Amino acid sequence: MTPPDIQEITIPDTVEELLGEDDVRPDVPWVVLVWNDPVNTFAYVIFVFQKLFGYSRAKASKLTNQVHFEGKAVVANGSREKCEADVSRLHAYGLWATMQKDD
Amino acid sequence: MARRIFKRARNGALVATLYEQEVELLAMTARDMVAIVEEPPDGEVRDRLYPRAYLDPTEEKAQGEYDALVHDDLVQARRSALEVVVAGLDGVEANRRGMVAIPLSAEEEMQWLTAVNDARLVIGTALGVTEEGHTDYEPNDPRFEYGVLYSWLTQLHFELVTLMLDEIGESGTDDPLLESPGGPTAPGEMPGNGPDAAPGEDSGRDDD
Repeated sequence: MTPPDIQEITIPDTVEELLGEDDVRPDVPWVVLVWNDPVNTFAYVIFVFQKLFGYSRAKASKLTNQVHFEGKAVVANGSREKCEADVSRLHAYGLWATMQKDD
Repeated sequence: MARRIFKRARNGALVATLYEQEVELLAMTARDMVAIVEEPPDGEVRDRLYPRAYLDPTEEKAQGEYDALVHDDLVQARRSALEVVVAGLDGVEANRRGMVAIPLSAEEEMQWLTAVNDARLVIGTALGVTEEGHTDYEPNDPRFEYGVLYSWLTQLHFELVTLMLDEIGESGTDDPLLESPGGPTAPGEMPGNGPDAAPGEDSGRDDD
C-alpha cells in the first residue's frame, strides 16, 4: 500500500467547496405561496398538496380553504433551491405558485 | 350524473369507459393541446401554464435562471402526458354498444390526470371562467362548443381526482413548515404517500 500522493490532495479554499454541494442548510428562509385561481378545483388542490408534500387530508384541506378564501397560502418553506423545486413541481401540476423571501 | 367514466377494477387498475365519439373528442383535444403547451399564445394562457416563480421584479436574474432550468422540462412533461393519452386512445375498438374500455396503468392514470388538468387550465383560462365555473353558454355564443368541452373535461377531472383522493387516503403530516428529517425530499418521493403499491399485473380487463 502506497501513501497518498500529496500532489493529489487539493485544499478547499471556500466554505462552499469545503461543505460540498450536498450542504442543505437553508440560506435565507424562503416561502412558497399558492394563489387562488378560478379553474383549479378544491379537490384537485387538496390532492396536489397531499401528493407533493405528504400532508394529511386535514392539513391539505385547511391550506386549500386558505387559498380559496384568503386568496393565497404559504404551503412550504426552506432554502431558495428547495423552494424553486417545490414551485416547479406545483407549476407542473398547474397550480399558480410563487416564492419570496420570508420577511 | 348517473354514468361513471372511470372505475377501479378489482386488480386496482383504473378503467376508462368512453363512447366512441368521446374517444375521438379526447384524442382531438389532446392533440390540439400539444401545440398549445409547446407554444402557448402570449397572454393569460401562457401565464397560467408557465407562471413566474418570482413576483419580485428585483429577482429578474433568478427568474431567468428558473426558466432556463425548469421551462423545457415542464413543456416536456406536459407534452408526454398528452402523448400518453393520444397513444392510449389510438386504435381502440368499440363493443356492440359503441363503448370503449381502456385500462390504465398507475402511471397512465397520473398522465391522464395531468393531460385533462392542463386542457381544463387552457380552455378555462381562454374562456375566462369564473369561480362559479358556469360554461353553459347560449348555442349562438362563440364560446358554446368550448363551454361544452370544458364541462365534459371537468367531469373526467372530477372523477379522476375523486378516485385518486381515495387512493392517497387521509393520513400524512400536519406540520407543513418542517422539512422532512433527511432534508428536502426528492420530487415524487415523499415518504408514506402516494400509490406505493402499484397495481401491477394490468393483464386483466375483468369484464367486457
